[in-house]
Amino acid sequence: MEAVEYLDLLLKALLLAGVYAAMAVGMTVVYGVMKIVNLAHAGFLMLGAYFALEMFQRFHIDPILGAVLALPVFFLFGMAVHWLLVRWLPKSDTPTLASLLLMFGFWLVLQNVGYLAWGNEDQSILTPLTLSSIQIGEISIPKVNLVVFGAAVACMVVLQILFHRSWFGRSMRALIQNPYAAQIVGVDDQRTSRLTFGLGTAFAGFAGALLGMLYSFSPDFGRQFLLRSFVIIVLGGLESISGVALGAIVLAVFEIFSIRVPVPWYSHGAWASYYLPASYQPAMSFALLVVVLLLLPKGVAGLLERKWKAA
Amino acid sequence: MKSLNFVSRHFHQRMALALLLTGFVTFVCASSQALPADDVITIGVVLPTTGSESKPGTYQKEGIELAIKQINDAGGIMVKSKGKKLKINEIFYDDSTDSKKSASLTERAMSSDAAVAVIGGYSTALGTAESVMADRYKTPWITTGAGATAIFSKGYQYAFGTLSPVALIGTTSAEFLGYLVDQGKLKKGMKVAIVVENTDHGIDYVQGFNEWSNKHAGYFQVVVNEKFELGATDFSGILQKVKSSKADIFLSDAHLPDYITMHRQYLQNGMRHQMISYGARGPEAAARQALGAGTDYIFSGIWWSNKLPYPQAKKFAEEYKAFTGHDVDSWYAAPAYDGMRILAKAIEAAGSLDKTAIRDALKKAELKESILPGQVLKFGANGQTEYPFVITQNKPDNKVDIVFPKDAATGEPVAPIPAK
Repeated sequence: MEAVEYLDLLLKALLLAGVYAAMAVGMTVVYGVMKIVNLAHAGFLMLGAYFALEMFQRFHIDPILGAVLALPVFFLFGMAVHWLLVRWLPKSDTPTLASLLLMFGFWLVLQNVGYLAWGNEDQSILTPLTLSSIQIGEISIPKVNLVVFGAAVACMVVLQILFHRSWFGRSMRALIQNPYAAQIVGVDDQRTSRLTFGLGTAFAGFAGALLGMLYSFSPDFGRQFLLRSFVIIVLGGLESISGVALGAIVLAVFEIFSIRVPVPWYSHGAWASYYLPASYQPAMSFALLVVVLLLLPKGVAGLLERKWKAA
Repeated sequence: MKSLNFVSRHFHQRMALALLLTGFVTFVCASSQALPADDVITIGVVLPTTGSESKPGTYQKEGIELAIKQINDAGGIMVKSKGKKLKINEIFYDDSTDSKKSASLTERAMSSDAAVAVIGGYSTALGTAESVMADRYKTPWITTGAGATAIFSKGYQYAFGTLSPVALIGTTSAEFLGYLVDQGKLKKGMKVAIVVENTDHGIDYVQGFNEWSNKHAGYFQVVVNEKFELGATDFSGILQKVKSSKADIFLSDAHLPDYITMHRQYLQNGMRHQMISYGARGPEAAARQALGAGTDYIFSGIWWSNKLPYPQAKKFAEEYKAFTGHDVDSWYAAPAYDGMRILAKAIEAAGSLDKTAIRDALKKAELKESILPGQVLKFGANGQTEYPFVITQNKPDNKVDIVFPKDAATGEPVAPIPAK
């Protein structure tokens, strides 16, 4: 493989990391504060994609603007879901079976609502941006992926500012660190949880609308991202926003390069180069998940934090 | 306390009575369904009309029901042992695109409903789940939507399929490209990159292509042969491999969402080949919606096209529209329609409702005036049919032409794909 091909793949990996980060950030926020593995996240992603489609087809609103509009709509939707369903869950420091079942059931409901409303045909959003690329020599950068990457970075920045500069963010962090102590010092856990769930849903809807520009979608959309979100969250350290970015980059680089980098292989008395078949890509991702869970339970971000403190 | 106990006892008595009544009604209903009426032929149909495969499942159901309606309108099927024509009674089950449900509903149709035959199994996964029931209950089972050879290589005696083997898509695609070479439109010895989904479907496709290619040495040289996971989120690595190989022809076998994602990234990467195919995918409206003119000139191997020039195919298209209220815009309904028709022919030939006799008749049955390519439908020794595929090619302005075989062609193949 030539240097330019490595560079091309590296850029593609960074852009893919943007996609992964956008889809995983909402799930991380909800897990961090509420210790809920939000399986309905895939359903929110799907609804976000359909939201952008409806805005585009009915009102000719550009899907990027549609994604921005999805933020307040899905924030309110998330708050409503919390008020209706999530607040009744028993409080716990660890994910509970009840929360898993509730969110899984709600995902199925959302999926079936999707089938009722839009049928099962694959839908897509085609704009002038969809197929266009920026060409730099032999490297082509898809414009729509650049937009998604920019949006993902913006999400992370906004969330980091919210986390560190606002009362709500401080409440969230307090609940992540120690929910009991947080309540003793006056953090309203119900209100913070409701807002957090709204925020997580808003980011899911936003990401879904952006993903709708990259992929075709049906009411089953989101399933393939859900598993990757788990990998990213574990890689990133379960409760860390910057960890999500790091996890997304590690996963994307690993997935893309795993099939293009030669693995030295000793066979018949000589060393040879062996390329992993592309069909092993998902297996490699989940092998990575297992390794990280065993060796770095606090994720790559946790390891870096420890190194930083030691230094 | 006493009154509470009284209320509770009274409540329990009423509940018990209600449960008994419900049980009795259910039993009566179930019994009336389970007992085959003497003057009808019970056929089970198990297809997905909800869930991710609901669209093709619904189209197949419509094809079967159109055939049943036509047969019943003509008085039914002549059954010699009964000395009269019997009408078909369809028992339909929606498997919700769930393979476990699909298997259990097929079992139910074959056992408690006592269907003389079952039609169903759209998509290889659901068809595979259903297929094990046929020999277990010694009931003829016809899949109209599963084409993977794996189902028919297990020696089942009661399983039949009206879809040609998927391997034939690969073979027909190679044959079509070879035909273009012979015509002088493409050069001999071209490099081919093949990237398929990691399923029986994809594996069969490659096997079919290689079979033809090995028999016709010198036509093609396969330089990339890769598989990818279903529902992949990114194809950058694989597409770069294809790009580096400097292949002249790009062939893939993919489900619709993967076709759209891969081809979108293909176009974004500015890739270009002399010919492109995504197996059985290509002319779908959803792909046109997603990729616009980017799908122009893609060729695909499909089981049926509404553009087939046979009079019976045109008649079917008209009758289907009158029956359902919508056009027959895909291949799904056709093999289902002919599946029901060949079953009716086999029942008539068997002369009785004995399942083994019907199975034996199906093995010998030959449906002439079939609407499928080749115009004759019959089953091979393994139970699967083998009729030729048609190759269609997308043309600008949402036009699609049959370009191969020549006797069914509605337009000339465009090769190599013109530069934009």
